[in-house]
Amino acid sequence: MQPNITIFHCINTFADGNFLPVGDNVNCELNMVKLPCSGMVKDVFLLRAFESGADAVIVMACPEGECRHVEGNIRAQKRVEWTKKILDEIGLDSRRLTLVNISPGDVNSAIDAIQQTISSLADFIPNPPATVRETAVA
Amino acid sequence: MIVGEQKTIAEIKEIIAPYSRVLVLGCGTCVKTCFAGGEDEVATLTSALRLAYNKDAKQISLEEFTVERQCEDEFIQEASAAISRNDAVLSLACGAGVQAIAKRFYKVPVLPGVNTTFIGMLEKHGLFTEECLGCGDCKLAVFGGICPIARCSKKLLNGPCGGSQNGTCEVDPETECAWQIIIERLTSLKQLDNLKKYIAPKDWRSSNAGGPRKLVREDHII
Repeated sequence: MQPNITIFHCINTFADGNFLPVGDNVNCELNMVKLPCSGMVKDVFLLRAFESGADAVIVMACPEGECRHVEGNIRAQKRVEWTKKILDEIGLDSRRLTLVNISPGDVNSAIDAIQQTISSLADFIPNPPATVRETAVA
Repeated sequence: MIVGEQKTIAEIKEIIAPYSRVLVLGCGTCVKTCFAGGEDEVATLTSALRLAYNKDAKQISLEEFTVERQCEDEFIQEASAAISRNDAVLSLACGAGVQAIAKRFYKVPVLPGVNTTFIGMLEKHGLFTEECLGCGDCKLAVFGGICPIARCSKKLLNGPCGGSQNGTCEVDPETECAWQIIIERLTSLKQLDNLKKYIAPKDWRSSNAGGPRKLVREDHII
């Protein structure tokens, strides 16, 4: 069973993440959610991604100082940190949620971030909704 | 506005533990503004609780609903159907909202999900500060619109204690000295003479020290 990773990305990093050319480099199921700015990401979106069965969630934001909307990426960082606290509080391991700053169109960095996330998944306890998803598929 | 802070998920789980169907009820007024109990916070808390219960392999039904204002009966009524479908209500309103729901729905357990903290203002996005104790006898006219009761750590009415340093309070360096602000403000208003008047010790009977208070507006009561 491939790991399931949900990626929230700013449209300024990739115009449409569904065309992220991961190819055979990445062995996982990717769910891409594009946002007009990473600052649009909210704690509830991130939690609901986990509820929907994501093993990990990555927020891809523009590098600091390069946000088209000035501070959207900083807001995204704050919200990710806030949501990480919630994940730790409920014992789901906040390391399964990460934010990476990616320059527009930098596919290699995006793939690196996904691969790092996949390799770190082994350290986490399973996300129960993901287990349910796995059972249903089996 | 009334400022509140959501309880920890651990405490909320403990509070709702006896119930299998819980309505998480938000309030769209003060607690929404301070990010403690509006529609967004209801959604986030409910999602976090579902994840937490899933992790613990426990079954619980959580329903979400938010009314415009939980402290007014006409708004509360909108939640009637949702309340009747559940065993208990986890209210994310202030203490007044929790009690208004409890009064309206006498047989339904109503549980607080928020700690009501103070009457305050939005200093900047994400920062709320206490500005009023609701003492029932406002003297802001004397102090240039700065309340020494709410904002001076020692609640001094007749001048500063002398312990502040660089404009900050000796009790808590993170707090501005209210008297520094009062004097600066009255100076700019050319009303510094206000402070020559002796302010008698405060009569706290107008605050909640005199028991629960009521406000009666005869012109609105039929």
